[in-house]
Amino acid sequence: MRILVIEDEVKVANFIKKGLEEEHYAVDTAFDGEAGLYLSEVNEYDLIVLDLMIPKINGLEVLRRIRNNKNNVPILVVTAKDTAEDIVKGLDSGCDDYLTKPFEFRVFLARVRALLRRERTDAEPILRLADLTLSPVTHKVTRGGKEIELTSKEYGLLEYFLRNPNKVLTRTMISEHVWDYRFDSMTNVVDVYVNYLRKKIDKGFEPKLIHTIRGVGYILSPDRP
Amino acid sequence: MNFRSLRFKLTLWYVLILGILLISFSAFLYLTLSGSLHRDVDHKLRSLAELIASESTSPLSKFSFGNIDQTLEDSMNLKPIGKFIQVLDESGRIGRKSENLKSVQLPISLQALRNASKGLITYETNRSLGNVPLRIITFPVKENDQVTNIIQVASSLQDVEDVLRTLVIILVITVPSILMIFSLGGQFLANKALKPVDRITQTARIITSQNLNQRIQTLKVKDEISRLIDTFNEMISRLDQSFRQIKQFTTDASHELKTPLTILKGEVEVGLRKKRLPHEYEQILQSNLEEINRMSKIVEDLLLLSKADIGEIRLIKEDIDLTRFITGLIEQMKILAQPKNIRIETSNHQGEIHILGDPLRMRELFINLIENGIKYTEEGGSILITIAKETDDPFSPLPPHGKRKEAFANVTVADTGIGIAKEDHEKIFNRFFRVDKARSREQGGSGLGLSICKWIVEAHQGEITVHSEPGKGSSFIVRLPLYTPQGQNLDNF
Repeated sequence: MRILVIEDEVKVANFIKKGLEEEHYAVDTAFDGEAGLYLSEVNEYDLIVLDLMIPKINGLEVLRRIRNNKNNVPILVVTAKDTAEDIVKGLDSGCDDYLTKPFEFRVFLARVRALLRRERTDAEPILRLADLTLSPVTHKVTRGGKEIELTSKEYGLLEYFLRNPNKVLTRTMISEHVWDYRFDSMTNVVDVYVNYLRKKIDKGFEPKLIHTIRGVGYILSPDRP
Repeated sequence: MNFRSLRFKLTLWYVLILGILLISFSAFLYLTLSGSLHRDVDHKLRSLAELIASESTSPLSKFSFGNIDQTLEDSMNLKPIGKFIQVLDESGRIGRKSENLKSVQLPISLQALRNASKGLITYETNRSLGNVPLRIITFPVKENDQVTNIIQVASSLQDVEDVLRTLVIILVITVPSILMIFSLGGQFLANKALKPVDRITQTARIITSQNLNQRIQTLKVKDEISRLIDTFNEMISRLDQSFRQIKQFTTDASHELKTPLTILKGEVEVGLRKKRLPHEYEQILQSNLEEINRMSKIVEDLLLLSKADIGEIRLIKEDIDLTRFITGLIEQMKILAQPKNIRIETSNHQGEIHILGDPLRMRELFINLIENGIKYTEEGGSILITIAKETDDPFSPLPPHGKRKEAFANVTVADTGIGIAKEDHEKIFNRFFRVDKARSREQGGSGLGLSICKWIVEAHQGEITVHSEPGKGSSFIVRLPLYTPQGQNLDNF
């Protein structure tokens, strides 16, 4: 899952990025409204974390412009503005959740998870397909009741697959949602990681869940396409 | 009714004064009328007595003390109605008397008799005859300086007393009625006049810090009360303004403190989520220390400013030679400027320039300004500090004594830095105003430095201004009143 953090306070942006990456999210940062808006337009994010008091284009304006672009990405506003009017104004300008600074990082992560869940119809906290489960809270992955150890990138990849089950995902989509902007799309890193993941979750289990769609990408599904 | 109310007091005073006036007037009226009526009676009695006396002594007169009534009517064509006349001989024996006296004698007191024997006239009021008060004149008739006869003429005072009694009755009825009517009227007037005061009270009572936008409705007529309302409204406006400023300041201050707090909390929480290597902990602690220092600086500066606001800071002023003072500071500042390879230069052609100032604050002021210069100047730039006495306009004609006034010391701190946009020139002295928030925080500023500079300069009766052009640099100009060192040079502010 790829997250954009728009925050002018470098240290704040850095610890948010670090904390999120340790939760296996891919994170990009922007230090002003202009850069943030640009990144939100060129990349497809699963979530945007937005500060309101940022230079060049202020946060509320960024919020409005993102929504004007018909971009429905979940947006979590994180700001020092904590009056009732500020919160109402923020939510009415199109953000999905509002967190005031200073905040508890656990709460911040829980809100991130809640907003990512919003996209799904069942909204169950645990992601599940056939006998494969993934808990975004504990990061525990099991298949047939047996726990599976995954690396950070493998975990990120599986989370993206599980959030989009039974859907063909192209290599570009995968690279955009699992890796941050430093990812070099010319390499075959995606294929390599999909193979790592396949070995861990499909080897010795039936039915196979990860299927290759030749020339297009991959699909996570209990049924053979 | 509230007996302490202004309304009651006003009415009470009003009625009291009116009452005193009315009673004095009544007393005056009564006394004047009574005096006048009595004088009139006495006058008539005396005229009659004199007439009788002159008739009786006139050798041509046919007057005798026979039948007085008849005689009077005959000789003088006079019929003294309601007058009683009695003639006595010099020893007081009663001779003739008028018919209307019938068998009654007019009383004569010993005193009157004694006076008469000396040739003096006596007036008396006697109530011994029936219930009718009588006014009696005892008039001695003299012939060749000898009292021959005594004439007594009396008149009833019944009419006079009736008139006076009627007057008293009228006054006793009308004065209290008038007072009653006026007390009601006075109360009505006081009510009417004080009604706006009630409104002021009501509004004042409901005004708290939460609804300072309330105002008292103004009156159409411009009188004392409307002036009071205007004054009151102006006061609420000023309160409103200062509350707003305090609120803004508190909001700003809390925002300023929230950023380092967010960083502290966030970094520590993220750091504690899993076991890390020692150098990672070290990094976190170092960053935390930076934030703690920043918070200390903000809190320190805030405390200083709030103390300055309530006038709690005592300036200990002494004679300072700015030239030497600033030259000394620059030596220290050069250490700060070295890493960025910034030159600091001074220019002074006038030797010693004295001001009266608190050395501690002066130090803070110039260090702040030079530090700012270093922060916002690119590597390899320079800072020029000019110290001069400010003269009047050099093109104006010389004053009569031939010397231009040198009232101010002028210190300019000019850098070759990034400069400040014109629209921000006013605002840079405002608390927590930052042209570039990120940059200021990177430099560790509290956002209060220039506010403190402004306070220091103003506490020394000077002024601070800025000239700047983006990209070319900024000049901060400090003007401080000159001081001529003579006699006492330590002044506690």
